[in-house]
Amino acid sequence: MGALLQDPEAPLGRLRQGEPPSSKADRHEFHFTRAVYSGYGFGYSRRGSWAVDYPKADRQFLMGVRRLLSHLDLSGDENAIPLDDPELRRFPFLYAVEVGRMSLSESEVEGLRSYLRAGGFLVVDDFWGSDQWDQFEGEIRRVLPGCRIVDLPPDHPLLSAFYDVKELLQVPNIGNAMRGETSERDGYTPLLRGIFDDEGRLMVVINANTDLGDAWEWAERPEYPLKYSTFAYQMGVNFIVYGMSH
Amino acid sequence: MTPDFESVFELLFKYRPFVFEKGRFVVGSAWPAAAILLPGVVAAIWSYARARGAPRRADRVVLAVARTAALAVVALCLCRPGLVLQTAVLQQGFVGVLLDDSRSMRIADGGKTRSEFASEAFGKDGALLKSLAGRFKLRLFRFAESTDRLESAADLTFEGGETHLPRALERARQELSAVPLSGLVLVTDGADNGRSGEINDVILGLKARSIPVFTVGLGRERFDKDVELVRVDLPSAVLKGTSVTAEVRVAQRGLGGSKVQLLVEDSGRVVQTQEIRLPADGESGAARVHLTATEAGPRAFRFRIAAQPGEPIVQNNQQDVIVQVADRREKVLYLEGEPRFELKFARRAVEEDENLQLVCLQRTSQNKFLRLDVDDAEELAGGFPKTREELFRYRGIVLGSVEASFFTADQLRMIAEFVSQRGGGLLALGGRHSFAEGGYGQTPLADVLPVVLEEKGAEPFFAELKVEPTPFGMTHGVTQLAATEEESASLWKKLPPVSTLNPVRRTRPGAVTLLLGRGDALTAPQVVLAHQRYGAGKSLAFTAHDSWLWQMHAEIPLEDMTHENFWRQLLRWLVGGVPGQVGVSVSPQRTAPGTSVTVMTTVSDDTYLHVNDAQVVAQVTDPKGAVRDLPLEWTVGKDGEYRGTFSAREKGSHAVRVEARRAGKSLGSDEIQVEVADQDTEYFGAEMRRPLLERIAEETGGRFYTPDTAHRLAGDLTYSGGGATVQEEKPLWDMPFLYLAIVGLLSSEWAYRKRRGLA
Repeated sequence: MGALLQDPEAPLGRLRQGEPPSSKADRHEFHFTRAVYSGYGFGYSRRGSWAVDYPKADRQFLMGVRRLLSHLDLSGDENAIPLDDPELRRFPFLYAVEVGRMSLSESEVEGLRSYLRAGGFLVVDDFWGSDQWDQFEGEIRRVLPGCRIVDLPPDHPLLSAFYDVKELLQVPNIGNAMRGETSERDGYTPLLRGIFDDEGRLMVVINANTDLGDAWEWAERPEYPLKYSTFAYQMGVNFIVYGMSH
Repeated sequence: MTPDFESVFELLFKYRPFVFEKGRFVVGSAWPAAAILLPGVVAAIWSYARARGAPRRADRVVLAVARTAALAVVALCLCRPGLVLQTAVLQQGFVGVLLDDSRSMRIADGGKTRSEFASEAFGKDGALLKSLAGRFKLRLFRFAESTDRLESAADLTFEGGETHLPRALERARQELSAVPLSGLVLVTDGADNGRSGEINDVILGLKARSIPVFTVGLGRERFDKDVELVRVDLPSAVLKGTSVTAEVRVAQRGLGGSKVQLLVEDSGRVVQTQEIRLPADGESGAARVHLTATEAGPRAFRFRIAAQPGEPIVQNNQQDVIVQVADRREKVLYLEGEPRFELKFARRAVEEDENLQLVCLQRTSQNKFLRLDVDDAEELAGGFPKTREELFRYRGIVLGSVEASFFTADQLRMIAEFVSQRGGGLLALGGRHSFAEGGYGQTPLADVLPVVLEEKGAEPFFAELKVEPTPFGMTHGVTQLAATEEESASLWKKLPPVSTLNPVRRTRPGAVTLLLGRGDALTAPQVVLAHQRYGAGKSLAFTAHDSWLWQMHAEIPLEDMTHENFWRQLLRWLVGGVPGQVGVSVSPQRTAPGTSVTVMTTVSDDTYLHVNDAQVVAQVTDPKGAVRDLPLEWTVGKDGEYRGTFSAREKGSHAVRVEARRAGKSLGSDEIQVEVADQDTEYFGAEMRRPLLERIAEETGGRFYTPDTAHRLAGDLTYSGGGATVQEEKPLWDMPFLYLAIVGLLSSEWAYRKRRGLA
């Protein structure tokens, strides 16, 4: 499980509630957009599990992405949007955490289905063990009835979109990392799975039994192992490049 | 002159106007006239000066003038005026009679068919034939595509698919060059399928040899009601599945403003129906029809308007067009300078299109590229192509948001030559580093692009755009998004706004704007999509940078295909008509049996430089499957152009496949179809072309007739001045007009006196 943001005074991320971009700062090509969904548990500022690691993980990840994808026109601000907000479809790249605590309303199911079917790209992260998998699987099947969830093979283009990722690491949260552990619950093996549409296009990337978001969030901390944050950044960058080209 | 006028003229002046035109006016001795006129005038003046009743001075003058004028006319008669003419000697001169034997003579637009007049007038007992034969030795000819001697008008078939007036006149002139030729008689409706300007040379030749042509125009100068499909413009080759817009030019008589159904058939199957409004009288209008080439191979599209009530001919209601529909995959290179959703959704839009391969090269970071849909590991491994061979293998190039400084000067020049020399298509997309914002203003691409690159502004530009098609864009193959213009307009209205980062207001001269954008932040409309021809190729500018919103916007239903259709049509149009290394064309592509067909081929090497030392062979397969090889020779006059000719004898489709080889290696091949069938060209422009026939007659010294006036032809021909002639003087002293003048003047004098009480 991801750690909560430590600084409660940090500014809230801007929530785009049906507003199209209006300022120059908003006219960037890429917004790292976090899905706001209904569910159990709490994230930053008691907002719900969607807000785990938010917004520090988002901001810190974007700082790295700006350096690594030097030609990407990206907004440095976090960008959280409810799944049932019609404006969601303006942001074709979507990130969701703690999806094992997801419990979507009907409008959120409709919103996410519309988003994915139209061409949106969803990356989910940071949920552990069989119980949370079952919860997520149940919810995503409400969104995409009959969908097949498959393991992504090591030679999938996603793993070489920018970086050649040869090995799938289990990325722990900062607490476990400092204790030398990597797994939570019964999620001992990191999973990289995907859901494809009828035309064989990858719509959903599932990172289970791993916590890429925490690695982004604590990448600057010397006590957080470099190999995990490096891996998490590589994966995150690959997600962006793949999601913006496929 | 109208026939009525000529009849009255002949009554008054004894001879027809033509005789006066041809004759020279002469008078005999003037002494008898003077002997009468002078004393008469003196006597008239003296008598009125001494007249009783004290008439006024004005009365004296009027009466003296009337009397003097009457005496003058008498004196003129005494002078024995006459016309000197060169009159044909009976049965000494020859006359060539040329009878139109083409299909348009079957048109019944004057109570009976045009052919009936020709057959009757020049048949065995024909009045015109008899009157001519009574004076001249006749030589009959028939003419249509060719000209031949004719024994009798009964041998006319009226089957000719085309009419070549100049060739007919020239042939008759040559054949009769050794005999005293009084003139040629041309009996036709005036339809001429000869090449433009050919008739001028022939007229000059006839004029120089003093051979008058007497023309008899058959048919009506204007039909009461008629619809004619004048022309259909459609690309000669398209990719399978491509939506194309055909421009159909329509003319009409007497049906201005009516609505008619225009049908498009693909090998007999109706593939499109569109209601069109006919243009006003005297104008021709264009209708644009959207259709899709769904099946590969040579397709014969027939455009047809149903026969309207009262039309004398219906054969001109349709036009056939052959389109070569290719089922191959065309490669388009899309270079994107940064990760952008535009690339993702463009790929997504065309990935189902089996005839497009969108090869992507996307710069993700400095010197790091993502290659997508390449054929092999080698393709684009070195980044953007650095040689012509590498670049020119593509048919189209899409430049995304990539700054001009990304390219070397050679690469920029190469892209320009890709368009101008290779004939490829270039599409520039809007973006942070596109157009002026990308620094293209001073590069070779500035001229290639269809839009004017303004100075880059100090501040980044951003404007939201509501996009709408221009009137031309409404029916263009790229921007008509639905089967009908109305449905397409409705779709455009529903599309959400997009945005641009490049202020583009103006297009270059000759460019065509297809889409405009309007928005609150704009003082003038933004050019969103424009294209122009550039050298052998074409360029397009699409200045929006987030057209993917037409797919992803919340208002767009999931099943909506607008974005996909737009991009497919855009990229298909981009590569449409882009030549390969070997390109073949034929002239004519639709023709009558027995016509000579010219095969023209352009051959280039893989850098698209023309090749003059290739071995080029056309393999012609006729409808019965017989194959013959036709070697094509370099024309010398033009680099890379090879030509050969064959005779298409069999009715049906002739497949022409051309392959070029050089040093034992194939440079490529291309194929085209020639359709051989009876042609209906005769029925187009089928109204009688009086101006042409009058011109031929007037410029050669002949005369124009209609069937109503043709009975005068033989008489006029007698005085044509050509052939074996003798000089003849025709007296004019006994013209009824002169007697009428004398009587009229004397009567006037008497009436005046009576009225003034001077009698």
